[in-house]
Amino acid sequence: MNRGARWAPWVAALAAGIVACQERLTSPGQCPELCPGGTPTVYDTVLGAVPGGDESVQGYIGRGAGAALLTSSGLPASEDRAIYRFASRLDSVSVRDTARAYSVDSVVLALNIVARDTLVTGLRVFLYRLPPDIEPDTATFAGVDPQLIAPALIDSITVPDSVHSGQVVTVLRGVDADRVAIPVGTGGVLAMGLRIAANAPTGIRVGSLAAGTAATFTTYVTVDVPDTTTAIVHQSLSRGAQLNGFVTQTPYLAAPGTLLIGGEPSSRAFIRFDLPARIKDSATVVRATLELLPAAPIPGLPNDPAVLEGRAVLSDLGPKSPLTTDPTLIVQDTLALGSTDTVRLDITRMVQLWQASDERPEEVALLLRPEAATFTRTLLGSTSPLSPVGAPRLHVTYLLSFPFESP
Amino acid sequence: MRRGFLLSLCALLPGAVAAQSSQFGVRGLGAPGRELSARAVGGGGAFGLFDAESGLNPAALSTLSTMTASFTGLQDYRHVENPAGTESVRESRFPQLGVAGPLKRLPLALGLSFSNYTSRDFTLASADTIPLRGVLVPVSDTFSSRGGMSDLRFAGAYKLGERWAVGGSFHVITGSNRIVSRRTFADTSYQAARQTSEISFAGVGFGLGVVRTFGPNFSLAAVARSDGHAIIDRDSTRVAQVDLPYTFGFGVRWRPVPNLDLASQVIYRTWSGANSDLLSQGGTGAENTVQVALGGELTPDMRRPFRRPIRLGVRYGTLPFPLVPGEQPREFGLSVGSGVRFAQQRAGIDLGLEHVWRSAGAYSERALMVTLGVTVRP
Repeated sequence: MNRGARWAPWVAALAAGIVACQERLTSPGQCPELCPGGTPTVYDTVLGAVPGGDESVQGYIGRGAGAALLTSSGLPASEDRAIYRFASRLDSVSVRDTARAYSVDSVVLALNIVARDTLVTGLRVFLYRLPPDIEPDTATFAGVDPQLIAPALIDSITVPDSVHSGQVVTVLRGVDADRVAIPVGTGGVLAMGLRIAANAPTGIRVGSLAAGTAATFTTYVTVDVPDTTTAIVHQSLSRGAQLNGFVTQTPYLAAPGTLLIGGEPSSRAFIRFDLPARIKDSATVVRATLELLPAAPIPGLPNDPAVLEGRAVLSDLGPKSPLTTDPTLIVQDTLALGSTDTVRLDITRMVQLWQASDERPEEVALLLRPEAATFTRTLLGSTSPLSPVGAPRLHVTYLLSFPFESP
Repeated sequence: MRRGFLLSLCALLPGAVAAQSSQFGVRGLGAPGRELSARAVGGGGAFGLFDAESGLNPAALSTLSTMTASFTGLQDYRHVENPAGTESVRESRFPQLGVAGPLKRLPLALGLSFSNYTSRDFTLASADTIPLRGVLVPVSDTFSSRGGMSDLRFAGAYKLGERWAVGGSFHVITGSNRIVSRRTFADTSYQAARQTSEISFAGVGFGLGVVRTFGPNFSLAAVARSDGHAIIDRDSTRVAQVDLPYTFGFGVRWRPVPNLDLASQVIYRTWSGANSDLLSQGGTGAENTVQVALGGELTPDMRRPFRRPIRLGVRYGTLPFPLVPGEQPREFGLSVGSGVRFAQQRAGIDLGLEHVWRSAGAYSERALMVTLGVTVRP
């Protein structure tokens, strides 16, 4: 017998031994009779927010600083008018270091529709010329709306019912272009306001500077230059919006004893809790739901829902508290318009963070997305005695530490 | 070549042998270990008090003629039945290892061994439906434990003439359980809950043993041992103290004809000392146990007595920790074994197969256990 043949059985034995060493230990358990310590017990409790520990603070995102501007017509949520003020268009064009005058051939005004109620038909957007010195940040509805009248009308854009979002334009030629004519020596600024009409009360959200989707103002001109190429003679002067904003007829304000979230400038709410030691120290939280009671039906634009967002607070510095950017600690839920049903946010991970770190405040920040750019606002009940509905509460489902030491 | 084939066969043998682990080790401190070598297992454990490679009797070390290292591996296949259902499970363990040998010019032998004292290796799966937030939610639970208590033994034996041998042992009882409880919810709005803990044990014990030989064909052995108590910590926090048993054992060995060895032993343990401790912690208590074994070893070729002897054994015993209060589990086992020595008897392999039935009320299991022992005498 050669050496290899002698060792073969031992190698086979070793391999077989390794194969034989398998473990499968799971068997059915008649618990709690058979299981040491019984079975895990799940507890369910509702914790109220710390009395006086909730607040709503306004001023985070100003009107016009959000991702969209609002314009509406008869919408119950709010009556709004959008405003754009374009960058200055010079009176001349420089050709070979010489300023040359030009004549306007045509003008294109382009808008970006961010959202609309897709069930409302016959939407038209009316563009009105506004004074070039208008300040969108300080303008008021009462100051702007009376100026959006027929003599100031630039044009209207009919938005096909099939268009839910995207760019719409109007092209002004010939005498129509005179409606946006900018006299030489007046600074070259064009400002315009928006009003809409449709077959039913509705609203639209249009692009903004903050989102990079604001309206544009493009002028096609013929430069007064003899004997030059077509490219120099025919030019386009494109100007983007320099300022934008919108005005609201009836700003949405927090009623006494309520927490306002959304609106413009945007409001955020901060709600503080105090976990009992029983939960904070030794419980395994399997579900934690923040329950919020609307104090009034949630207003907004139908078919354009807003999202309520809850974020963990990294440090409690009042209104300036830094908020987490960790996606796992940010929760969202779409708000149902007109509803007064309890709004629920699953903040399980947030509560687990509170358990894991004493440095993190037991606090939730609430805001509305898109901030300062939606018709939706919500008023929630607070811990104030004046609150018309119940206070925010935290519904926690948890298990206590299992009695492993029980034999 | 044939030895290799035998070893391969041993490793591959499926078995429903009662391993150290058992559903009857779920409660209390676990399923008690047997501190037996593979050779002793083949005889039903009846030779345990006379076997130097087993950890029962320190006086048995006196039979060693040379330094011996032994290693025991165990593969078990169990079929478990209880009111929740049935399942086939299997497990590998290494319940016994040791090194021992005589001192030169002295009738003294010393040994160090490490054996399984109790085992708590199990995973229990169950399902239920519980009301949560006004809705019935199906849940699934698994409760797993790995580990147990181990016995580190320092032992010595002294020969008093040709007929008497006495021994003493010092035991360090240690070990830990890594326990995991996991609950998952059919409603995924609820996160799965996983809790873990480590339960550790510490204690010391002492033992005395004796072997009395009456000529070449008859001998008696006895052992007494006290294990004091075990201190139980949960994640480094003291949570309990449990009394461990006194052990009393008596064995007899008889060789009626030159090629047949018969033996029997009885081991009695006072586990009821732990009863009040376990009950106070919410357990199901503990009861005294008795293990009775009867076995024999037939040597086919007296010229080569270590070449494939045939070992048979039967045993009956009770287990200390009831699953249901008042119903003490019982076990019955049949075993068979053999072995070979080779390399001028400097190495050996022993195999033991045991089929065990255990029951207590509605709970039962049967198991095939394959015990493989490797012995080296350098």
